[in-house]
Amino acid sequence: MRNKLLVLSAVVTALILSGCATNDKLYDYGDYTETYYDLKKEPTEENIVEWKEELESIRNDSQDDKKRVPPGISANLGYLSLQQQNYAKAIEYFSYEKSIYPESTAFMNRLIQKAEKLQSQGKK
Amino acid sequence: MSMRYPISLLLISFFFLSGCSTNAVKETKGKAFHGMYEEKPKSLLVLPPINESTDADAKLYYSTTVEVPFAQHGFYVFPEKITSDVLKQEGIYDAELLINLPLNKFKDFFGADAVLFTTIKRWDLQYTVLTSKLTVELEAAIKSTSTNQILWKYGGIIEQNLTSSDGGLVANLISTAISSALADYTEYAQRLNYRIVSTSPVGPYHPVYMKDQEQIVIIPAK
Repeated sequence: MRNKLLVLSAVVTALILSGCATNDKLYDYGDYTETYYDLKKEPTEENIVEWKEELESIRNDSQDDKKRVPPGISANLGYLSLQQQNYAKAIEYFSYEKSIYPESTAFMNRLIQKAEKLQSQGKK
Repeated sequence: MSMRYPISLLLISFFFLSGCSTNAVKETKGKAFHGMYEEKPKSLLVLPPINESTDADAKLYYSTTVEVPFAQHGFYVFPEKITSDVLKQEGIYDAELLINLPLNKFKDFFGADAVLFTTIKRWDLQYTVLTSKLTVELEAAIKSTSTNQILWKYGGIIEQNLTSSDGGLVANLISTAISSALADYTEYAQRLNYRIVSTSPVGPYHPVYMKDQEQIVIIPAK
């Protein structure tokens, strides 16, 4: 009987611990690593689209769950917009990354400057 | 009676676990990595991995697995996709060259409090008749961009037997292993990254930031 209780309490503890471990994650990164890996392995148009859609869904899911958008997600979206010459959108994303992660300020400012420069060149 | 079995199994596994750490020292995070608590780095810049393995592609694939575990541990991790492009434009492909150089440039350019050096020690697949064994061995270090001090360093190894479920021909088995090997590497590498990073004091976005000094880490004997 004592043994049974012991095992039961061990099982309960294990369940509690495993429960904590999953809820403990700061962010929901979805399939970030997998889609990034696919993109590095084969930088095809299809994989770029897949990566972009994954970044957007991570961003939307985090906002829906009232969680902070993970580090780098908005910056990566900005970088994609920059490469697709959508400079206004790029600046918006970089500014958002900066607003939720002040640690990124110096780097985001550089990227914003770059986007602004390209934008003004495009207008000429 | 039937209950004795799982308990003895549990005991055996404890012996195994403790057996692993006989040559190792147990220390608190506060003692082992005091530099982290003194300098309090908030942001990490992932440098290109140093590849000591025999696999030339290891570097490219491994670099996709680093960012997330460190972010989940509470640090602001600069987006590796963008920073690796910038570093390439600056001619930095190899972190080997940076080991003995001052790191303040990374503070000026990126605003990074610290950089993350990673080394791929082993990244290989060994074939035997019935199974193939995948081995990934990694080392990681956080180095301050203001003092150049190593604030945290840890390493680990993961060995995984890949067995075919259908028990078919050996040739069949090997081809299965090869096709799954690329994806498996990164999966296990990321799992190992999580294990390695768990020894580090957490970053500012983590709920126990600056409250984990008393946590015990196992420092392997040299």
